[in-house]
Amino acid sequence: MTTTTVPVATSTAAGPFARGRGWRRYRTSTFYFFTAPWTLGFLLLTLAPLLYALVVSFTNFDGISPIWRFVGFRNYIELITNDPLAWAALVRTFGYVAITVPLSVTGGLYLALLVNRRIRARGLVRAVFFVPSVVPVVATAIMWKLIFNRDAGLLNGILEVFGAGPVSWLTDSAFVALVVVSLWGIGGGMIISLAALQDVPVELEEAARIDGAGPWSIIRNVTIPMISPVLYFQVITGVIAALQVLVQPMLLAEGNTLATTALVPQPNRLYMVEVYNEFFVSGRFGYGSAMLWVFFVFILVFTLLLQRVSRRAVFYQSGTDAD
Amino acid sequence: MTTIVKNLAAPVDTPPSDVRPPSRTERRRGGYDPQRASVFTYIGVIVFVALLGIPFVWIVLTSLASQQQLSAGVQGLLALDPLWSNFVEAVTRVDFVKFGWNSLVLSTLTAVLTTFSSALVGFGFARLRGRGRNAVFTVLVASMMIPAISTLIPTYIIFARLGMVNTYWPWVLWGLSGTPYLIFLFRQFFTAVPLELEDAAIIDGCGWWRTFAQVFLPLSRPIILTSMLLSFTWTWGDYLAPALLLNRANTTLAVAMSSGYLDPQGNGIITLQAAGALLYLLPVIVIFLFAQKYFIGSAIGSGVKG
Repeated sequence: MTTTTVPVATSTAAGPFARGRGWRRYRTSTFYFFTAPWTLGFLLLTLAPLLYALVVSFTNFDGISPIWRFVGFRNYIELITNDPLAWAALVRTFGYVAITVPLSVTGGLYLALLVNRRIRARGLVRAVFFVPSVVPVVATAIMWKLIFNRDAGLLNGILEVFGAGPVSWLTDSAFVALVVVSLWGIGGGMIISLAALQDVPVELEEAARIDGAGPWSIIRNVTIPMISPVLYFQVITGVIAALQVLVQPMLLAEGNTLATTALVPQPNRLYMVEVYNEFFVSGRFGYGSAMLWVFFVFILVFTLLLQRVSRRAVFYQSGTDAD
Repeated sequence: MTTIVKNLAAPVDTPPSDVRPPSRTERRRGGYDPQRASVFTYIGVIVFVALLGIPFVWIVLTSLASQQQLSAGVQGLLALDPLWSNFVEAVTRVDFVKFGWNSLVLSTLTAVLTTFSSALVGFGFARLRGRGRNAVFTVLVASMMIPAISTLIPTYIIFARLGMVNTYWPWVLWGLSGTPYLIFLFRQFFTAVPLELEDAAIIDGCGWWRTFAQVFLPLSRPIILTSMLLSFTWTWGDYLAPALLLNRANTTLAVAMSSGYLDPQGNGIITLQAAGALLYLLPVIVIFLFAQKYFIGSAIGSGVKG
């Protein structure tokens, strides 16, 4: 997989392909024609909304009223100096990322190591591990609400057998429920790790074994470094996905009938929940946009930092260059 | 690069043909076998199959339970006395035909448009040359890192102002612009196609359009299928976009499902929710079971190693 596409000899244009004077194999305009759908889509559906949000973030627009004005940096100042709810949500979000991302990457790797062995019914086991990650979020939420239900749920039923009192999983302990629901989807990471594992040359592991390494040592010192680019990829995408979690807390909230964040219990009020709340519950579009942009810049900085760290932690095999 | 083609063609667990699985005697002799499963492997497998599989078992049990059984707790559900009428009630209380049709139309529409656009753009990045190609491609890869939700809310406001709420236009536009992830998959596939094929098409007088449409596109059938399946299931499972952009009377199954099945007090009727969710989930599971290798192949192709 090299970045340079094909060793195309542009000179051939003058050779057997020459068809009159003006014929050229490659024209920039053709390239732009073919890639235009995405380029236009990116400009209109990604960049324009982001810039629009930037403009709105300097106003007191409420989404309905035609009367609004620019308020300068007031939204940003309020967010930074006088919004304990947003800060608490940010801290909660970091907690969520710090718990779920390492657990799902290592959990996915563990599952991959399991199904990489020669076990019985391997295809079936792999399917059971992977399927949760393709279940639509609405169905996932319903499935887990059945288990976490206070009165009729499976979990409290099991706890009852051990004499433990019923726990309000969907309100007081909602954060635990959210983490469990997120971890249910570790099969997605498993598949990516599994593919990487199968590319690790057997000779390397064998050499390590001959040198006297035990199974755990082989995994730690040979396998994990070999697949570290893939693990790093999962960390980056996992962090970005976990930072913007919104739909799961919304759907796990009890009594939720509309797409609203009003009912999300306090432990699950992550940053994006508060952003959504500002937009569609409080009707503060300007303030919500400011929150979005602060977060957006935050994610950008965070990703760059991770990239820095990765230079030391990730081993890239020379020769097989990654994209 | 070759890995993706290979992996799409064969299920992942097939060992490479040149590595023969060691025979029983070889293993007994103690030859090195990194894939040998120990007792601990099986303990891990059983624990995780149980943990990840229980929600499926539980939802099936709940969907077949009566209200009385449900209030009797775990014991009630395990007393198997299936109440199939839950499913009948589930599809009538929430108009499954209407909302299911909406979901089907929207998912198919998006899948077809996204796949075609992504193939076109992927071909452009793989086979064509033009000023700024590398820069544009870097932006494409970087755009995968932009949090989707941070653009969805402002996009919603813009669509609302353009009067596109409660139409399928947003999905048409999203579909037409392609998806970076799928563009990436197509680009990887098209990059691996030998140059000779392209030359032959050009000698035969094809322009780039015909080279794409008549030579490259038919070749990429496995990627087309992967892309269709993935984008279909994404739209089928999407909650936020239809919740924001479609009226509740005319929304998708995902949204209708999540807010249907209420008793007069406004509490969810659990058994019906379970039955409805199962029916809603079914197409995704069926697609997955029939096309496992395409899902898995794409996940592999998405890894940084390519």
